[in-house]
Amino acid sequence: MAAWGDSMLRFVFRPMLALLLMAGGAHAALAQEKSGIKEGFALKQGSARILLVRPTIKVGAQSTGGMFEPNADWTAQAKDNLGAALDTAQSKLGNAVIVADEPIGAAAETMADYRALFSVLADSVIQYQFFPGNRLPTKKRKGVFDWTMGPGVAEIAKGSGADYALFIFNEDQYGSTGRKILQVFAALAYVSVQSGQHRGFAGLVDLHSGDLVWLNADLKMGGDVRTPEGAQKRVAQLLEDFPGSAAFAKSAVKVAAK
Amino acid sequence: MRWLVPLAAAALLSGTTPAEAKDVMPVLPPYAGAYQPQTVDERGLWMVADETERAMRDSKTVIHDAALNQYVRDVVCRAVGTDRCTGVRIYIVRQAAFNASMAPNGMMVVYTGLLLRVRNEAELAAVLGHEFAHFELRHGLRGYKHERTASDIFAWAGVLAAGAQTYGTARTYQSVQISAVGSVYSYNRDLERQADFLSMQYLKSSPYDPNCFGDIWTRAMDEADATARGRKQRSKRYDRVAFFATHPTDLERTLYLRQAATEMGKKGEDDQDRFSAALAQWRPQFLADQLKLNDFEGTDYLIGELGRAHWTADLLFSRGELYRMRGNPRDLVSATTFYRDAIAQDPANAEAYRGLGLAQLRSRDAAGGDALKKYLAMRPDAPDAAMISTLVQ
Repeated sequence: MAAWGDSMLRFVFRPMLALLLMAGGAHAALAQEKSGIKEGFALKQGSARILLVRPTIKVGAQSTGGMFEPNADWTAQAKDNLGAALDTAQSKLGNAVIVADEPIGAAAETMADYRALFSVLADSVIQYQFFPGNRLPTKKRKGVFDWTMGPGVAEIAKGSGADYALFIFNEDQYGSTGRKILQVFAALAYVSVQSGQHRGFAGLVDLHSGDLVWLNADLKMGGDVRTPEGAQKRVAQLLEDFPGSAAFAKSAVKVAAK
Repeated sequence: MRWLVPLAAAALLSGTTPAEAKDVMPVLPPYAGAYQPQTVDERGLWMVADETERAMRDSKTVIHDAALNQYVRDVVCRAVGTDRCTGVRIYIVRQAAFNASMAPNGMMVVYTGLLLRVRNEAELAAVLGHEFAHFELRHGLRGYKHERTASDIFAWAGVLAAGAQTYGTARTYQSVQISAVGSVYSYNRDLERQADFLSMQYLKSSPYDPNCFGDIWTRAMDEADATARGRKQRSKRYDRVAFFATHPTDLERTLYLRQAATEMGKKGEDDQDRFSAALAQWRPQFLADQLKLNDFEGTDYLIGELGRAHWTADLLFSRGELYRMRGNPRDLVSATTFYRDAIAQDPANAEAYRGLGLAQLRSRDAAGGDALKKYLAMRPDAPDAAMISTLVQ
């Protein structure tokens, strides 16, 4: 018999724990990889149709004590700005982005299933592949990036003609004034307090095979998503190493050289 | 600065923080038609809850059966009034645990474990009324704000403790931190009590009997004791409230709810028949989910409690399954009896023949083969038909 608050109780302890850990003084500098591409994968230049699955975007403030304070206005701004920035970025690469329609009935259940599956998949990749010390035995061979959602994922794009599905997750917590003041005073007491947290990941799934062909997970991102310019910077970071972007950059350099 | 934190903490713990005094709660009730959340905090919490609800709506764990959903909605409406109940969306989640929850935006989540455990409609109305009270009183928002204040104090006290010159000062700040954490939980318990009492008020003006609410917690204690016995744990029945407890103890709830009902002096309906009729079709599935919890004593208590009035075929069958799954030779003898009684009441129960046959074969009784043949004849396309047929050659 619980009010919503119960799940919120957990929010108190994470920051508390973080604070206690940080009181030790040193940030653990983890050598974490940020992105992976399936071996031998190359996006066909300038022809891919990419289905954008409803992105999970949460923007808010971080209270003095480190709690996430969700902000509806900032989230709405971020959704608009990131959507526009994403469109620009992909059309530069020559890809078409199709925004997935809100599904109805059985299709809605399938979509919900695959969204949930993707978040589990992305967590697994981050945990068991991107941290070299924690790698599963099957993921240890150099260059291997072998993850799949299964061919059934094609169902979410039925009728849209898309070749790939793009999943995006983005969470921003901007340090509140109180948090920043705490940070200054904490520094005087030799305690390191982090103000603000910005993390996100983006993944591309081949709809024909169900394989995850590319994933980028950055736990420290720049760019203020509440502004159009900041959102462009964020999308650039989110789509860093996007298949085909290196080739695009090269051709852009060639054009510039001419 | 040094004195600010203990002062603020003292104010927080006494329940009147400056922050709360100037707290502006929106005037309109949240259940009013197409209510829009008002403050930055409320809008933020609703946004998060809306996103959760989208996932919940399309989740396969939710039972979408129209008749069952309509029935639960009717109970909520009869409990809190038709003018209020339109503000909630109900999601019946297939989860064997005894629970229900309420999000700030009016998303009510009802576990099937709750539907299995309440004895009548009045009990269901009491629990759903409690959840609705969380919504009406904006407990999600209040709890969130209180936690934020408490975690602010915690953070400041931590910094001051780290910068303290003497051990005594540091210890003072650390005890402030502990008090801040404790206040989050004690405040949450206060909200739960508030919701209990408002639910009693709903029951007072509804057709239902308010006396039933306390009974739920008595049985919850008995079931917890049975589970603890089976797992060789001690009973927590008479424990005092724990530091990290989010709810008052079941014993405390039983006592104050009984007292409130006595003071009210109102008699009402329990609508047992309507409840049984609506849930009859679902109970076998809810029982099957309960059996998978691997909690022999607790489940045996629960089935016995449900069978107190009348041992129906579904209860006998489930008890047979429970005993057969534990599988001691004496359990198989008991299970055989339960299956036979179930078949006597409901000769069309093919699963009871399956259980009977397996229990008998396991007891080296060749008659089990006949029961399994009967099962296969009744269910030729059962998913385990091939497996079972290997046992009857």
